[in-house]
Amino acid sequence: MASKLAKTFADPLSESNPITVQILGICSALAVTVQLKTALVMAISLTIVTVGSNVVISLIRKSIPGRIRLIVEMTVVSTLVIIADQFLRAYLFEVSRQLSVFVGLIITNCIVLGRIEAYAIQNPPLPSALDGLGNGLGYGSVLVLVAIVRELLGSGKLLGFRLLPEAYPNNGLLLLAPGAFIVLGLLIWTQRTLIGKFDTE
Amino acid sequence: MPNAAKGDGYTVFYAAIVCILCSLLLAVAAGGLRPRQEQMVELDRKFNVLKAFGAPVADAAGRRISGAEVEKLYNERVRERVIDAEKAAVVEGRSPAEISPADLAARRLLPLYEWIEDGRPTRFAFPVSGKGLWSTIYGYVALDGDLRSIVGVTFYKHGETPGLGGEIERDWFQNQFRGRELLGPEGFKPILVAKGAAGMAAQDPARVVVDGISGATLTGKGVTQFLNADIARYEAYFRTRRAGGG
Repeated sequence: MASKLAKTFADPLSESNPITVQILGICSALAVTVQLKTALVMAISLTIVTVGSNVVISLIRKSIPGRIRLIVEMTVVSTLVIIADQFLRAYLFEVSRQLSVFVGLIITNCIVLGRIEAYAIQNPPLPSALDGLGNGLGYGSVLVLVAIVRELLGSGKLLGFRLLPEAYPNNGLLLLAPGAFIVLGLLIWTQRTLIGKFDTE
Repeated sequence: MPNAAKGDGYTVFYAAIVCILCSLLLAVAAGGLRPRQEQMVELDRKFNVLKAFGAPVADAAGRRISGAEVEKLYNERVRERVIDAEKAAVVEGRSPAEISPADLAARRLLPLYEWIEDGRPTRFAFPVSGKGLWSTIYGYVALDGDLRSIVGVTFYKHGETPGLGGEIERDWFQNQFRGRELLGPEGFKPILVAKGAAGMAAQDPARVVVDGISGATLTGKGVTQFLNADIARYEAYFRTRRAGGG
């Protein structure tokens, strides 16, 4: 039982990572990874929402009428996302400004609804929470990795602190969306090569 | 599905309960956090007044100064005044926060911020706002002590498309205004957020031309329009002020 729970948590971190393997949530992964700070806040917000919605849906999974299942799920997700957004506005005003629409767009993030439909709707709360945590962190770790590469090579800084010498010519391409595509592509390639499970030929 | 057997009544009842619970939660969260959010918005406003004035709002590494520092700098340096648009004179004893929304919307009473050095105002800033493409854009324009050239322009609250019109909140866009001569032979020159040949138009002595944003033509048009309209509202007061009637 314990090992099964561990697998529920660990799988989405790498082998079934929502971004690099399932290719979900790409839109926000491109948009919020210019700086590490926004990527971290986004990762934490999405993890909280995924865990929260997984647990809530799992708790009420037996009582949800089938015909309004998706509506109930979306209502729960939207509520959690708006609450998260309100907290960001109150406590991390500057970051929430930079994240702009992307916090609100967690509502439509495929990962959140995907985990509810694929897992929480038919599993008890504890494994559902772990599943949400694993997927949130799996998403978050990719965001953070991409953001580290982009902020470091794009503006020579990390979390606003200059790490590379002033003489380093900032690579402007990495700050633009195509830069994120390239970094993400390389990351997916590296990961799939390392795991070696995804031979397409 | 066992729940389907419970019928329509159950479904409607369930939906109602979910809605009520969710809206209750949202109301509590939004209500509980509102004072703090308003505080942050006010702090952001003060930050932008300071930024328009060209005050040191970022440290050497380019990071923003803390909220407490913003508060301190603002209280030390900025004096808030209210201008009566018609009489072109200061209304004594009132602060911009007390202007009623109706007066503000009709631009009857105008807020003015003075940057005080050695007890005398050396720079002036005022709010500008108007429609962009999707939203109302809010910002500040600051002029130098002679009310001739622009010290700084900021845009801080807007709902324009991130990455396109949203670029108006970036330094590269706002810095273009800095130091530009606004006063021409016949009063303030029109500002133009130009599309395309900004290089050529920038030489135009009769206008203040800045480079627009690709993909955000309508946001640029809006900015052009409301900057000129709002600057013109202060022109009468600034004229008396320049003539020494302050």
